[in-house]
Amino acid sequence: MSPLPVHEFYAGIAPWAALSLLLIGRNPHPGLRRRVAALLLATLLLLVVPVGGWNAAAWIRVTEPNPSFTLTGLLLVALGSRLFGQHLFRREDWRAAWIFGAVASLTLYPMGLGLTPIDPYAWGWERILPLMTGPIAALLLLRGNRCGILLLTALAGSLCGLQESTNVWDAILDPVYGIAAMLLLPGAIRTKDPGTPAEIRCNGDGGRQTEGMTV
Amino acid sequence: MPLIPRLTLAVAALLSGLLLAARMHPEKGAFLTGEQDRPSGTAAPSFATIVLNTGAAGSQPMVHVASPAAYPGGLATVWYGGTSECAPDVRIWFSGNPDADPAVIMTREKASRDLGRPVQALGNALLIADHDGSLRLLFVTIAMGKWSGSQLNSCVSKDGGLTWSRAERLTLSPFFNLAELVRNRPLPLADGGWCVPVYQEFLGKFPELLWLGSDGSWRKSRIAGGCTSFQPSVVPLDGRRAIALMRDYTPARRIHLARTEDGGRSWTKPIPTSLPNPDAGISALRLSDGRILLAYNDSTIDRRNLSWAVSGDEGISWRRIGSRPDQGITSFSYPYLLREGEGIDQAFTADGKRITLDRFNEGFLDRLASPANP
Repeated sequence: MSPLPVHEFYAGIAPWAALSLLLIGRNPHPGLRRRVAALLLATLLLLVVPVGGWNAAAWIRVTEPNPSFTLTGLLLVALGSRLFGQHLFRREDWRAAWIFGAVASLTLYPMGLGLTPIDPYAWGWERILPLMTGPIAALLLLRGNRCGILLLTALAGSLCGLQESTNVWDAILDPVYGIAAMLLLPGAIRTKDPGTPAEIRCNGDGGRQTEGMTV
Repeated sequence: MPLIPRLTLAVAALLSGLLLAARMHPEKGAFLTGEQDRPSGTAAPSFATIVLNTGAAGSQPMVHVASPAAYPGGLATVWYGGTSECAPDVRIWFSGNPDADPAVIMTREKASRDLGRPVQALGNALLIADHDGSLRLLFVTIAMGKWSGSQLNSCVSKDGGLTWSRAERLTLSPFFNLAELVRNRPLPLADGGWCVPVYQEFLGKFPELLWLGSDGSWRKSRIAGGCTSFQPSVVPLDGRRAIALMRDYTPARRIHLARTEDGGRSWTKPIPTSLPNPDAGISALRLSDGRILLAYNDSTIDRRNLSWAVSGDEGISWRRIGSRPDQGITSFSYPYLLREGEGIDQAFTADGKRITLDRFNEGFLDRLASPANP
């Protein structure tokens, strides 16, 4: 597909969200001015500041023209949490996202880059991948896991042709998401869910309950 | 989340998956063997050669990877030229016929504008003469580094190569869409699409096929993985069966061969043939009597000859029939065989500086192969 404006716009969302998060910084309670400034600065840096005659968004499209809908969704969820102080994803939602990303990456990349005669990337042009992803998303949603919304978005986004790629794999996975998933998955697995009796501990500070991990 | 929204979203996910699956085209078209096997008649042996007019490209240090295609205007050819491979000044040239002045049809500046992102350099190009008389150009852009930073693109001309549509990017690789290259003659499909030999050159080097649909869609499949052979030349035997002959990337230095019995859906593991290969491009096509003709460098170490071999048993055994006269050329690279009318065109890079076009017929090959001409 040619780089339609909608493709260029979509491809810019993930870098914009990532840059905005970086600019907001680690302050747990950023002020309104800082939040607005971070969003504006991220927009300016991506669209206005020229580098070798091209804006940064175009340079990012050289290497990552098809950010997955899952990565874009996760970045927007993280950004939304920082901007509004509302945790849109619970711990189990994040954990499901990292598990899905890690499993999908291990399925796709080694074989997709030539390890075997089988090319799983070709499944992305066949019926098997959407027919597998749909039920996985439905199952997660029925269990109340919000990671299912990301997979639903990926299917819908691919259906609407929002990406330059026509391969469904590119809608649900990209190398950045895959690497992040594999790096963050061990920590996410070690972190126990809050709320279940066996995982709630009293840490001896006057009976205040804290979540499972050492705090 | 309450139950009703959960159920609604779950149904939406299932429906999205089903709708997306319904939009996919799982079946690849059968190979169209008729166009490959036009009878060549019983003409007297003939062989002629011309050095393609590369125009301004002739003054450049390097021209390479010629790809001819027969179209209503004659024999069109594309190639790339510049100071060296992967250099920023590499441009893609087009010649409407062997005597015509060539024209630059793609530069890295135009490719950058069309694709909406910076392009570092251009590379291999392939010309397809479509069934409706239009010409389709597949070409490599390099995003970064050398060939492992390659990506494939496409544009179309509906006026015989005078003007070209805006280039579009083909996403073919899962890892930042890197390392896809094109090389060798495309095969027409019965459904109006094309099967184009491509290959990946990143962590491994392996042969693949790009399937272009008549509706503008595309998809890719793999012949083999690993790092043993690449740059396939595919010869259909009938609608479902074909062989792929491949450039070697192992110490064995042998041309590799794989087979398909299901229209390219699956392939046998590539095995070395008896023919040598100095890690160089090859090209093959089917002759009118069913034999397979192969153009290759008959050496394991250099490209100093361009030879022909034929197989009468679908690639099981090969017989060398001779070499092209060297005419002072010391390096023959990237042969490209194409049947046009009753003749066979063979394009190749001579000494990395000229594009040479040979035209011969099957009578010429028969004379080479006759016992009186050992």
